Amino acid sequence: MSDEAIDRTKLPIRRPQFQGKVERTLDGSQPDWDYVAPTSPPEGAPNVLLILTDDAGFGNPGTFGGPISTPALDRLAEGGLKYNRFHVTALCSPTRAALMTGRNHHAVGFGMVGEFAGPFPGYSAMLPKDCEPFVKTLQGNGYSTACFGKWHLTPDNMQGPAGPFDRWPNALGFDYFWGFLGGESGQYDPVIIENNKAVGVPEEDDFYLPDAMADKTIEWLHGVRASGSDRPWFTYFSTGCSHAPHQVRSEWSNKYKGAFDQGWDKLREETFERQKHLGVIPADAELTARPDSMPAWDSLDENQKRVYSRQMEVYAGFSENTDWNIGRVIDAIDEMGELENTLVIYIWGDNGASMEGTLTGTFNEWTTMNGIPLTDEQQLQLVLKWGGLDAWGTELMAPHYSAAWAWAGDCPFRWGKQVASHLGGTRNPMVVHWPQGVREPGGLRSQFTHVTDIGPTILDAVGIPQPTNIDGVEQKPMHGTSFTESLNDANASEHHTQQYFEILGNRGMYKDGWWLAWMMPRIPWKVDPETLKQYAPGVWDPESDPVELYYLPDDFTQATNLADQHPEKVKELQDLFWQEAEDHNVLPLLGGLTTFFGMTPPLPTQSRLTYYGDVQNVASGMIPRIFNHSYTISAELEIPEGGAEGVIVAEADHLGGFSLFVQDGKLKHTYSFVGVQEFKQESDVPLPTGSISVRLEFAADAPKPATGGEVTLYVNDEPIGGGRIEHTNPVRFTAYAGMDIGRDNGMPVDRSYADKSPFAFTGKVKKVVFDINPHLTEEHEEELHEHLHQALAGHAINA
Amino acid sequence: MSDDQKDVVIAAYLFEDLAKKDFDEVLKLAKDKAITVEGVVLVQKDEKGEVEVSETGDHLGRKGLKIGGGVGLVVGLFAPPLLAATAVGAALGGVTGKFAKHRLESGIGKKMDAALPPGSGGVIAVYDTDGADTVDKALVNAVKKSVAQIDGMSAKKLKAGLAEAQAGMGG
Repeated sequence: MSDEAIDRTKLPIRRPQFQGKVERTLDGSQPDWDYVAPTSPPEGAPNVLLILTDDAGFGNPGTFGGPISTPALDRLAEGGLKYNRFHVTALCSPTRAALMTGRNHHAVGFGMVGEFAGPFPGYSAMLPKDCEPFVKTLQGNGYSTACFGKWHLTPDNMQGPAGPFDRWPNALGFDYFWGFLGGESGQYDPVIIENNKAVGVPEEDDFYLPDAMADKTIEWLHGVRASGSDRPWFTYFSTGCSHAPHQVRSEWSNKYKGAFDQGWDKLREETFERQKHLGVIPADAELTARPDSMPAWDSLDENQKRVYSRQMEVYAGFSENTDWNIGRVIDAIDEMGELENTLVIYIWGDNGASMEGTLTGTFNEWTTMNGIPLTDEQQLQLVLKWGGLDAWGTELMAPHYSAAWAWAGDCPFRWGKQVASHLGGTRNPMVVHWPQGVREPGGLRSQFTHVTDIGPTILDAVGIPQPTNIDGVEQKPMHGTSFTESLNDANASEHHTQQYFEILGNRGMYKDGWWLAWMMPRIPWKVDPETLKQYAPGVWDPESDPVELYYLPDDFTQATNLADQHPEKVKELQDLFWQEAEDHNVLPLLGGLTTFFGMTPPLPTQSRLTYYGDVQNVASGMIPRIFNHSYTISAELEIPEGGAEGVIVAEADHLGGFSLFVQDGKLKHTYSFVGVQEFKQESDVPLPTGSISVRLEFAADAPKPATGGEVTLYVNDEPIGGGRIEHTNPVRFTAYAGMDIGRDNGMPVDRSYADKSPFAFTGKVKKVVFDINPHLTEEHEEELHEHLHQALAGHAINA
Repeated sequence: MSDDQKDVVIAAYLFEDLAKKDFDEVLKLAKDKAITVEGVVLVQKDEKGEVEVSETGDHLGRKGLKIGGGVGLVVGLFAPPLLAATAVGAALGGVTGKFAKHRLESGIGKKMDAALPPGSGGVIAVYDTDGADTVDKALVNAVKKSVAQIDGMSAKKLKAGLAEAQAGMGG
């Protein structure tokens, strides 16, 4: 069937008309081989490689003047085009939702991260069926499609084997998925998801996720061609780097030894000069100033300087490694002879660099996620505890650097991740490479472009229309616009002339060069209750937040506030913002934090969870809610003659988690309070052999966040030991490590059995039962529920 | 305050050279007689995990006063393996041997060695309590410090003080 005869506006594409002839027998029948051919994309349609890195700033990569060596990005830029006015949403899931669907993030339910669905349309984390990802369109038109790495668009409570799977990658246009569903992953011990199944933590000793991602991508590309297919492919290479935990081997981080000893103030100046020299920012651009909330480098003491320098060395090595792996994928495509007609779009960062490490940076990002602020002194002590500075970047820590490094990495702009009102959060480097489609490589493009433009641009480039109907559901038009015209015309007119920005109350309104910055006066890393109270219903008046106005064609960096000189423009853009907010489900503002202000989700009804057999890798957001109140863990075991050892049940690792295990014949329990303190209990006597039951009871002091309590261990209902836990994790242990029955996959909770990991139980675990509501009154339950979701709000704001 | 009141401080460092810097500062204060020190030990663990121990056991700072038996007391409370691994330890063998019993019972050196990651360091000092503020300021680069007080300088009391200070270092 000819291209013109195919109606690509409705998916799936209808089967073609049979063009042959059918008689009663083959005698006289005429075949139509086109009838049995798969749907084909338009003739000559290119492959597409879409690359997205994570939590990375405009001023990080060397290609854009930063200190981090990025040869792959350099190579693509030299053979393609740099875009220096490309914009994202300022937060992970929202950018990804906009990227995949071509629609504004709130309009597809992602005003907030996927871990924290809210009870309003703009915050539901439920991608709507009338805004299907453009990838589904490519797939429906005959592309082979695959996604590797970070997904972050599946609601937190739908990541188990029970599904539903309609918001997993396979249901949203990807033939193949290999990666992780959440917002982040350990680099050494990820729980890998392959298609619709958790395949677990890789067992290779030298496993490193960013390297494996490239390996898997290349393997898939080879496989596609090995199957005799000449169909074009679409690959979404979505790295977990450079999101925390910042983990990379020292061979990468040590390349930057001493490279940041000059500090963040000086680094920013150096980057700014390089940016001008490279021409990626205008010659008249001004370097914006450090916010008062961040310390001057010169004010730091010697310990701080050295630790902070190392934080950035590791971040830089981590980022360079990822660019190197991207280079490996590019090399593989080149080797296959397909680079000429592969459209590569390499976006450096789904938002600006992250300030979520607070000013100190942290050895374990889950301290801040749990709302447990640590002082600089405490952080230094914990670095010492977990192996000293050499351990920063290893599996012993889950680190995140200081907010001030993020600010330096967002050079020349103000602020960073979460701050949708300013370019530090929203403007990221992009490079487009397509030898067959770009006639004059090596250029710079400065059209205003936005993440919602990627889908329309790709469809435009490959010659496939935006479908009006997919699977019988009428599709809403994409909000983004194609920028393909700019590929061969540096002066192409801008099609994306208006764009609202909003994350967590931070607002921006762009129109025809003007940018209204309407920032909530909250320091992005401050999430304590006292701070958030200022934004409670009836207290916070978003109208009264200070406004800034910039004219970006003359002011690349938002350096000169023109609000006082153009009050009419301020008013116009404010009105426009509210209109856009209404049109795109942005309202209510702060919708993602509704639970903090009392709109808590329905109480869970299931308080008793039973795990039979060898259950492994229960997603971290789906483990029993043992937080902030009493609970019981019971297990039925078979202990053979001669005894047994190993883990009965464990969640996460030494940086936060629990493990109930048998060692040296005794029942033991270790609870790690975010890696800050460990609490251990053990039985006074060895366990008997045969069929036995063991139980751990945690009697909370009170149902309150981070409550302490008493642990009692039992065998066959007889108490055999116990002890106290002074503090418990109030929110969550981790975002990625799973819970396992009969073993402790990944990093161990108790490092005393690290040499035997995963320390599988040598007897038999018949079942494990969690009773997560054994002692609560209804009143307590309600109260606790509210507390819990306040804490979750704190988590969400940092996700 | 009694002249016999002593402070026992254990200070941990992320960086071995900063530990040395503070160690030298304490020695200088003692030489300048700003404080009176019964003994100071510096533990440095290099990037490869090799341990080096330096110490002084002279009663630095005390004018014309010698207290027999105090020499090497702080060092003496280190576990033998730690000291044996160092040239300093070998040189002090005769002195430390005098306090072998206390070393073995204390185990503090072993604990500190285990607690310090490669590249880090520690300082242990015993000094007259009236110099507490001065010493505290001198140990400016420590990331963690724990101080215990003892009333009188005997091996038993010192051992108890070290144990208390060690406990204060926590996990």
